[in-house]
Amino acid sequence: MKKPIIIILAMVLLLFAGCSNSGNSGSEKHIDTTKDELILAVGNEPETGFDPALGWGQYGSPLFQSTLLKRDHDLNVTYDAATGYEVSDNGKVWTVKLRDDVVFSDGKPLRAEDVQFTYETALTSDSVLDLNILDKVVVKDPVTVEFHLYEANSTFLHSLLTLGIIPKHSYGDQYAENPIGSGPYKLVQWDKGQQIIIESNPNYYGKRPFFKRITFLFLNEDAAFAAAKAGQVDMAYIPASFSKNEVPGMVLESIQSVDNRGIMFPYVSSGEKTDDGQEIGNDVTADIAIRKAINVAIDRDALVDGILEGYGTPGYSAADGLPWFNEETKFEDGDVNAGKEILAKADWKDKNGDGVLEKDGLKAAFTLLYPASDVTRQSLAIAVADMVKPLGITINVEGKSWDEIENLMHSNAVMMGWGSHDPIEIYNLFSSKMAGMDYYNSGFYSNPKVDEYLEKALLSKNEQEAIGYWKKAQWDGATGFSLKGDAPWAWLVNIDHLYLVNENLNIGEQRIQPHGHGWPITDNLVDWKWDEK
Amino acid sequence: MISINKRQKTVVISTITTVILLAILVIGLLISNDRIVTNLDSRNLPPSLSHPFGTDWLGRDMLIRTLKGMSMSIGVGLIAAASSVMIAVSLGIMAATLGRVVDGIISWLVDLFLSVPHLVMLILISFVLGGGMKGVVIGLALTHWPSLTRVIRAEVMQLQCAEYVQTSRRLGKSQWFIAVKHTLPHLVPQFLVGLFLLFPHAILHEAAITFLGMGLSPHQPAIGIILSESMRYLSTGMWWLALFPGLCLLLVVRAFDLLGEVLRSFVDPYRANE
Repeated sequence: MKKPIIIILAMVLLLFAGCSNSGNSGSEKHIDTTKDELILAVGNEPETGFDPALGWGQYGSPLFQSTLLKRDHDLNVTYDAATGYEVSDNGKVWTVKLRDDVVFSDGKPLRAEDVQFTYETALTSDSVLDLNILDKVVVKDPVTVEFHLYEANSTFLHSLLTLGIIPKHSYGDQYAENPIGSGPYKLVQWDKGQQIIIESNPNYYGKRPFFKRITFLFLNEDAAFAAAKAGQVDMAYIPASFSKNEVPGMVLESIQSVDNRGIMFPYVSSGEKTDDGQEIGNDVTADIAIRKAINVAIDRDALVDGILEGYGTPGYSAADGLPWFNEETKFEDGDVNAGKEILAKADWKDKNGDGVLEKDGLKAAFTLLYPASDVTRQSLAIAVADMVKPLGITINVEGKSWDEIENLMHSNAVMMGWGSHDPIEIYNLFSSKMAGMDYYNSGFYSNPKVDEYLEKALLSKNEQEAIGYWKKAQWDGATGFSLKGDAPWAWLVNIDHLYLVNENLNIGEQRIQPHGHGWPITDNLVDWKWDEK
Repeated sequence: MISINKRQKTVVISTITTVILLAILVIGLLISNDRIVTNLDSRNLPPSLSHPFGTDWLGRDMLIRTLKGMSMSIGVGLIAAASSVMIAVSLGIMAATLGRVVDGIISWLVDLFLSVPHLVMLILISFVLGGGMKGVVIGLALTHWPSLTRVIRAEVMQLQCAEYVQTSRRLGKSQWFIAVKHTLPHLVPQFLVGLFLLFPHAILHEAAITFLGMGLSPHQPAIGIILSESMRYLSTGMWWLALFPGLCLLLVVRAFDLLGEVLRSFVDPYRANE
């Protein structure tokens, strides 16, 4: 009887020895070579591939291509493949000087023809980037290129910041799968639906990235969290609800964003219809007192703590923290009594004692739509509805699909989300010209003075001048689209983007991220370092 | 110990289950929606004396949400089961009395519906109707009638051939007299039992389809929604979100099942004297 036991014991011991052996060899590998490879799970696969003309790089760095200009971590404009740019006095001609030492990963130099080709391709392709303002691109000499616009437009800067330059000589149908560019990295392998592997580009003119080889796994948030727990990735993007779970060896990085959520109110009274027969306007939310009272009564800090687990900031506008945000428009919130006062002054009274205010036979009740699949928006909608109940305003929350919301969004309040590094978004949300266009200005907000400032901001010759007008459009001392003015929205929160990051991985200083959780973190990939602790 | 006979036992069981179900229904209806307001300060609390079922991620009391959800489910189940039984009874009688063509069509329909899984059919119908309360109720009503239709068709056919009915007919009694005096008394038990046995089915399917996201809007306090929400938080250790509502669903469904069973042995002429 003894022998089998000994054999089993021996086997068990062997098993343990095997385990510890493999464990040792793993850690030895870490010590021997400095780590220059990373595995990241930070986003979904880009649907259209890696072609900048089709939208690649609009969120986050294009990685494989270089842009003409870029923003540093304070969101100031600096140069990438350009050495300088000028705007003509009428604002219609932008002249950009290129570096002469930029080389594509196939060894050919980047010339003005490539820039011309890139913008002309992006103009005709069905890209997310709107280049309709662009008339033509003129090559002056190999390193000088001129952009001729139909009219002055300060937000054209955004195209120079985000559009990666593609090589004229090797662009074709296969480009999206096989991108050649002058960026810090080149694509080595793409397993569709699973991962991409990139390696540093030896021909890159800028700072040599620390990590030579990076693998991006395309996992959803749940799977990314599981992979992080299993120690398979160096970085994973996770939702706030997972933030409480500690993962050994990883730290939680919370990055501020303008990824905002807010309630869009229909601004006009009901009656009109769009050309497609969708109703426009809502009599209750058309009353400025209702909108202002709701804005004042909501306790945004409670929303951040309660729904975002503290990973967020109170939201006051569509562009909190960005250079064109008007600090004057911040206000004190969470004050139900102030909200009641506003309503009382506007003659909203509870005559029949049912807890809901009335005015001229109209009940202070409206529907707030949210996309049924989005838990954060659902929670925000329910919490806000409960917060405004003491005011005597009833908000009926209703979850719908985006298709249904599209049909109802002109006559019902909607829980929306925006946030972009491009100030054109301000124009899109608040210009009366954009009323009813896609999801922009779906409440049909219009204010002639605001329109005037927005047009002036577009026509500005440089960003500084434009920023002045963007700020005035929010509040100029008398009117504007912020709460002090017309309050067409009730902004609620900005959601921090959460990433689990290996404790040894230094991801440098992160800037405020736009709408979209994941890819924007790759913006400063070249600055990432491995600090063995 | 007092020994009770089967009839007494039946009465006791049916009383208890009816009381439980009615209590849940009434409490759920009486509690106003104001009781499930969000309370962000007391979110994610485990069960305690002030919150016996704990609270969810918005600080809403889970006991009240569960009761609300159960009474909503009972309501949905009642409407759906009642309409299903109506459809079943009318189709069953039509099949048995209106000749071979009608019988053929209805039997074919029954076979068709039985050959497609309930849940798939339900998802299709409620999706076509745009989801929501309406979609779920109509979907449930349109999918739960086939098996009962078969039973009723067979019952009526059997009655038509029974000797006393034949005799009655020869004696010159009208169709109406036969229908009311002879056929109906036999159908009432089928009707009632069918109603009660369809009920748990309907509730479970309502919960299932809502759980899958095809049914009610995700903020309504339906039991399927509560259960599917809880899935997200199970990995973070909030077991109470799933356990208590799940147990309640089990309790209610079992209660209905029991009630249906005892009712059957109570009113079914073949089994009443067992």
